[in-house]
Amino acid sequence: MNLARINTVLFAAIAAVCLYIVVAPIAPAITFWAATHTGNSLQKLSDSLRLPATDLRLSPHDNRLIIPAMLLNTPINEGADLASLRTGPWRRPNGSTPAHGGNTVIAAHRFTYTNPRGAFYYLNKLQPGDLIGVFWEGKRYMYKVASTQTVPPTDIAIEAPTPDARLTLYTCTPLWLPKDRLVVVAELESAS
Amino acid sequence: MSEKTRFFILLGLFIASLLLLWLLNSAAGQSVLVHAP
Repeated sequence: MNLARINTVLFAAIAAVCLYIVVAPIAPAITFWAATHTGNSLQKLSDSLRLPATDLRLSPHDNRLIIPAMLLNTPINEGADLASLRTGPWRRPNGSTPAHGGNTVIAAHRFTYTNPRGAFYYLNKLQPGDLIGVFWEGKRYMYKVASTQTVPPTDIAIEAPTPDARLTLYTCTPLWLPKDRLVVVAELESAS
Repeated sequence: MSEKTRFFILLGLFIASLLLLWLLNSAAGQSVLVHAP
């Protein structure tokens, strides 16, 4: 390969990296728009949460978080350290679990270049009343969003135990920056 | 400009772009967890 050809390849590689740096942050917004305006992804996710209890054998076999309003259907990572955050939502081991009641806390990245559509990229789309489904150890737990708020990163109270069964989801806000934390609290509606 | 000079400039720019990507990814991927003050 002569030097001129190598230079052409290098130029193309630089252009590709720069294009990725610019496009990756907005690509999830484009795919979300496309998914909500074409196809029936939203309906499918909503339907999967409304299966009668007798049909739960059709439900996922792993621990899974399903949020139709975010078009999210992802496994919940279990683990003792931060590495668990790299591939998706991480149930904080110092919190509770859906089976035990109390405060089940799940954190996830909003955006990284290695995973542009971080699990909680659209957490800001959740509104009070939206449904959240958690499949946990073969049972289905349905939660309803009660509140959303922005807190400083030092507000460890969001992970504190609670007497009521609730689900706390949180990630960074604003998008692309870890300045504050966007927190969504959902109350348990039913378990089946 | 000779092809050799162009090669070294492009190589430098390529490494710089990868470094920028790595830095941006590190910034975006900072821990999302809450922590005590």
